[in-house]
Amino acid sequence: MKLVQFLLSLGILIIFSCQLKDEVNIQADEDLKLGGETSITGSYIQGFQQPAANLSALELELHRSSDKAFGDIFVTAPSTINGGLGPIFNQNSCENCHVSNGRSPFPNDFNDLRGLLIRLSIDGAGNHGEPNPVPNFGGQLQTKAIFGKNPEAKLSWNKIEEIQTFLDGEQIKLSKPNFTFINSYVALPQNVLYSPRIAPPIIGLGLVEAIKESDLLAIEDQNDANNDGISGKANRVWDYQNAVIAIGRFGWKAGQPNLIQQTAAAYNQDMGITNPYFKTESSFGQQQYDASNDDPEIDDLTLKSATFYPQSVAVPKRRNTTDPTVRSGKKLFLQIKCGTCHHPKFITGQHSEYAFLSNQIIFPYSDFLLHDMGDGLADNRQEFDANGKEWRTPPLWGVGLTKTVGGNNANYLHDGRASTLEEAIMWHGGESENSKENFRKLSKTERNALIKFLESL
Amino acid sequence: MKQVNLFLFSISFFIIISCNKETIDKKTDYKNLLLNLGNDVILATYADLDAKTIDLVNALTQLEANPTDDNLLFAKNAWRAARIPWELSEGFLFGPVDQQGIDPSIDSWPVNQPDLDAVLSSSNQLNKAYIDGLDGTLKGFHTIEYLIFGIDGQKAVNQFTTRQFEYLKACAQSLEGATQQLYYAWKPDQKNFIANVINAGDVGNNIYPSQKSALEEVMNGLVVIADEVANGKINDPLSQQNANLEESRFSSNSKQDFANNIRSIKNVYLGIYKNSFGLGISSIVANQNSKLDQKVKIELDAAILAIESIQGTFTSAIFNAKPSVENAQQKVRALQLTLESEVLPIISNL
Repeated sequence: MKLVQFLLSLGILIIFSCQLKDEVNIQADEDLKLGGETSITGSYIQGFQQPAANLSALELELHRSSDKAFGDIFVTAPSTINGGLGPIFNQNSCENCHVSNGRSPFPNDFNDLRGLLIRLSIDGAGNHGEPNPVPNFGGQLQTKAIFGKNPEAKLSWNKIEEIQTFLDGEQIKLSKPNFTFINSYVALPQNVLYSPRIAPPIIGLGLVEAIKESDLLAIEDQNDANNDGISGKANRVWDYQNAVIAIGRFGWKAGQPNLIQQTAAAYNQDMGITNPYFKTESSFGQQQYDASNDDPEIDDLTLKSATFYPQSVAVPKRRNTTDPTVRSGKKLFLQIKCGTCHHPKFITGQHSEYAFLSNQIIFPYSDFLLHDMGDGLADNRQEFDANGKEWRTPPLWGVGLTKTVGGNNANYLHDGRASTLEEAIMWHGGESENSKENFRKLSKTERNALIKFLESL
Repeated sequence: MKQVNLFLFSISFFIIISCNKETIDKKTDYKNLLLNLGNDVILATYADLDAKTIDLVNALTQLEANPTDDNLLFAKNAWRAARIPWELSEGFLFGPVDQQGIDPSIDSWPVNQPDLDAVLSSSNQLNKAYIDGLDGTLKGFHTIEYLIFGIDGQKAVNQFTTRQFEYLKACAQSLEGATQQLYYAWKPDQKNFIANVINAGDVGNNIYPSQKSALEEVMNGLVVIADEVANGKINDPLSQQNANLEESRFSSNSKQDFANNIRSIKNVYLGIYKNSFGLGISSIVANQNSKLDQKVKIELDAAILAIESIQGTFTSAIFNAKPSVENAQQKVRALQLTLESEVLPIISNL
């Protein structure tokens, strides 16, 4: 009897004392490694600045040298190094927009907009469907200039506020910046269309490039054949190098087909640096064109290097995946159909250049397709097949580290209008109206759980 | 029965201890270490940086009022003195320096010489507000360096124009504005970013969910600067045999810059700054692998010594004393490799 009692007590003791440890060992979620084998562990400011975990020694070395290209600062020509800036530009280096590789903070000061820029066009489209440039301004408002030239205009803004009410009575204030152009160097035409854009994080871009085109097209539903209120179409854009129409993957409206063209366009438009892809200055045909005979201002190696950097940056793993609140938030996220557009999973195909991006099981939480997001978010400016209400679903990997990486002013949505994830959700409209309304109906505990899930990404 | 109970009690105690050993170890409190790194290393370095740029403002104000050889030398020395705490801060280039866009106003490189010449030739009023509005490549340490040392490092006081004196004073004032912004961003009675580091892991800490994540931040900062010195600052001018790629070439201050970058790593690793000794990453490493800790300390000193032993100026050495530059690069690379592949995993596995 005594022995039985003793053994029983001992058994209970062992079970109790070791139980805590067992609870921690709950199997991690499938999507722990958001970026597949490129994923790194960590929750800190430099979390978006880590090399992919699966680089070879040679690729790691390449990554490090490409980091330098990404940080290189350009100056006015002639210069012994890094010459060719402008004559009109938005920033003088990649890094000055992509702050700590994360979302650009919304600017405090209209003198330095950081990663905020304005795309411009007039109605209609060019030969390949690209937006029609504005005479004397082109396709983008360059808000800085080298000495002796003028910024195309300066920006000013006020915030337009509105109150939204959740079903439980709690209110949330939404605000959006309303931009005006001041001191433009020549008058802007009355019919100008404009679209504000905040520089997005650069994590996982190589993986997005490696997603099979057939996988993107398979989830297209242009005419909403399945009748779920959500369509989704891939943008068809112009691939300048190959002179063909291609599926758009990058940018707020998926206006760029691949990373090298995205990078080359950023050099050209954001910094005024001509390159092997875009050999003509952004100011060509305008009053401030410098007509200097130094193009292209960077060579192919530099362009490739600056492209490799975002291709080889790691995606941080999810955090707190075993937290019950996070788990219930994930369920809610899927229940209210956020996951229809924020498509959780892909398996990448063969990347054309780098094996470390190939065959990765990734969880970007995006379908990379265009969706009508309603009037509240509309920029009313067309970009190839994306109309004025359509935006590409932005990936959510890393979204939980937005403020960690970029600080308090690192906000959400294309123009940085939403200072919290809850605000960002409440801006959803159009095809996402139902999901937004379902979010509105959740209790505060449920809403918080859903946000906790997003913060775990 | 009593004996059985006693036995039971003892064995349960033993089980609890043994089952929880791992948990207890994982909860080692690094508060004092983070407190020391935050206050005595990071904040103290930024306080010094701001104090030294105030000295630089004063020196350049004096130079403008009374342009003599002595005052020029005084200004040059003030520039070098202010450069020290900046380089000592490059081991922790995270947080406000980046998020608030302060770095470009302090350390943009290269200098935009064509625009600088054009500004100086213009009739624009040169004051702090005007300089504040210019791009980073027209202000900060390197623009000031270019103007006081001259392109060949030999600039004499009679080669300055009135506009250059004005520009220098305003530029130093603008630099001081940036270093003050940075210091205040961390200062407890101002924006108090330091609280995030010191209180890492506390409920409500929006940046660091754990002390480990703050330590990973600190450790990554060290790896980044070791990489930059070895594979950027030393490698670019050396491998491309191009002195234009050297950052502080007008002042020939590169060797000091590099050595102070390594000292920045040393300060954080050991938790020291100036004469204050405290807790640093070393205390964690020593606890787990004392040989590795010794190795890091030896490699830190070897890297500093090798940099300081580069023959002549860095500008000349990349052409005329390559082995001494290669030796320095090799020593910094060895340190980088140890930090990255041996020390970082210890912190990541805490």
